[in-house]
Amino acid sequence: MIAGVRRFFALLGEILSFAVEVARCMIQGPRFWAETIRLADVLMRRCLIPVGLAVAPVGAVISLQGVSVFRMFGADGILSSMLAPAIFRQYSPALASVMVAAQAGSSIAARIGTMKVRGQIDALAVMSVDPIRYVVVPGFVACLFITPLLNILTTALGLVSGWFFAVPVSGINPGAFTANLYSQVTLVDLWVGIGKCFFFGGAVGLIAGFLGLRTTGGAAGVGKSANNTVVYTIILILVADYLVSMLLLELGL
Amino acid sequence: MSFFWFVRHALVAQFTRVPPLDQFVRHMVDAGVGSIGLLTLLIFFAGLSLAVQGYAAFVRFGGQEFLGLFCGIGGIRELYPVMAAVICGARIGANLAASLANMQISEQVEALEVMGIDPMNYLVAPRLWAVSLAMPLLCAYADVVGLAASYLAAVHQLGVNPGNFMAQLRGIVGWEDLAAGVFKGVAFGWLVAIVACYHGYRSAKRDGAEGVGIATNRAIVHSAVLCIVLNMILSAILYV
Repeated sequence: MIAGVRRFFALLGEILSFAVEVARCMIQGPRFWAETIRLADVLMRRCLIPVGLAVAPVGAVISLQGVSVFRMFGADGILSSMLAPAIFRQYSPALASVMVAAQAGSSIAARIGTMKVRGQIDALAVMSVDPIRYVVVPGFVACLFITPLLNILTTALGLVSGWFFAVPVSGINPGAFTANLYSQVTLVDLWVGIGKCFFFGGAVGLIAGFLGLRTTGGAAGVGKSANNTVVYTIILILVADYLVSMLLLELGL
Repeated sequence: MSFFWFVRHALVAQFTRVPPLDQFVRHMVDAGVGSIGLLTLLIFFAGLSLAVQGYAAFVRFGGQEFLGLFCGIGGIRELYPVMAAVICGARIGANLAASLANMQISEQVEALEVMGIDPMNYLVAPRLWAVSLAMPLLCAYADVVGLAASYLAAVHQLGVNPGNFMAQLRGIVGWEDLAAGVFKGVAFGWLVAIVACYHGYRSAKRDGAEGVGIATNRAIVHSAVLCIVLNMILSAILYV
């Protein structure tokens, strides 16, 4: 137990010092912009379909279950005032980040891990190319920017699928749906979602780089790094989600 | 090797012969007991988060007394089964895919074939049985942990009346909802296992270490997406 706690804090310390190192590398050049943009492009293409497919059913499910509940009270017009904050603040950012972790994070970790077990990372260092600058920072920056962008898209997609299952399928009055939507959603909802995604996306890139560079033990180790990246990021996302919701409730936003 | 070919052969292997029992037990323990720590931690926070989020949404129009109903429906019917599937799917599926891919690139699967052992029967069938039986248990366990967390957050943190919360919950959630969650669990478990086994089994020796990473990545992403989509379809069939 004590050893486990000590190991946890040691790992936390290593991640924090790694984050400081990454930040230092980002401030002092050289920066590899072309590599960053290429990576962001590849990851964005790869993430687009999984992220969309993950968020759209959630809007549909909230609508389907919400309609059956609100019908009991004859208040199905206010469904959208529950649907919209849930999509904007909670499900779209959380699911978009989880899918970015699953797709982009694990592929970054697997790529860096493969380079590590083949000795390519050491080869880079021998050529006096800093592996953190050339391999980790582009992945980190790419994740930092593609996650909020994907979140904007998935929020719209979640709303559309929620609308589809509420209005044409379940027969809610379209006027009541949109009126409640406009009266309940504020710019705060949008910024909360984008802010969360910015933070989660950065965490994905950082954890993927950290675990990728620590890969040992050949092919099995590569799979393990990719897997651990996803697991650690999901833990972080869920814990942070709860803390942020509590904070926003306390602030009354 | 196409996915449907693989599914057909896996189904034949799964249902025509008894899988090797030692393998089955080992994978069941790996998938089930191995996931409990992670699942407890994550579902606990998801339950807290669900209550807080529901409260924040309902307080806007003065409906915070319906929190029990919201946590019951949102949690038991939808969130906990699908979260258990996505989380355990990421963990179990990645392990299955990585181990099978590792066996493929180190030619252990060919070695089995040479010894006259059918790899579908020896490797794939016990994994399919183990995960599709472990996942419903994990879903039921997730229901318990998640509801306890929602109750804690609602009563002790947000000040909702405990009697009211439980009455709402009992009024809306019945045994059929729990049974539906467990049924969903069987479907999710089988799906996670077949997707992971397919991606692991498909890697070839020439892919090397990179192939293991690709198989893991695909297993995680495809199983998560398929579980979420399947959840929508099952909910639409079961509850509408």
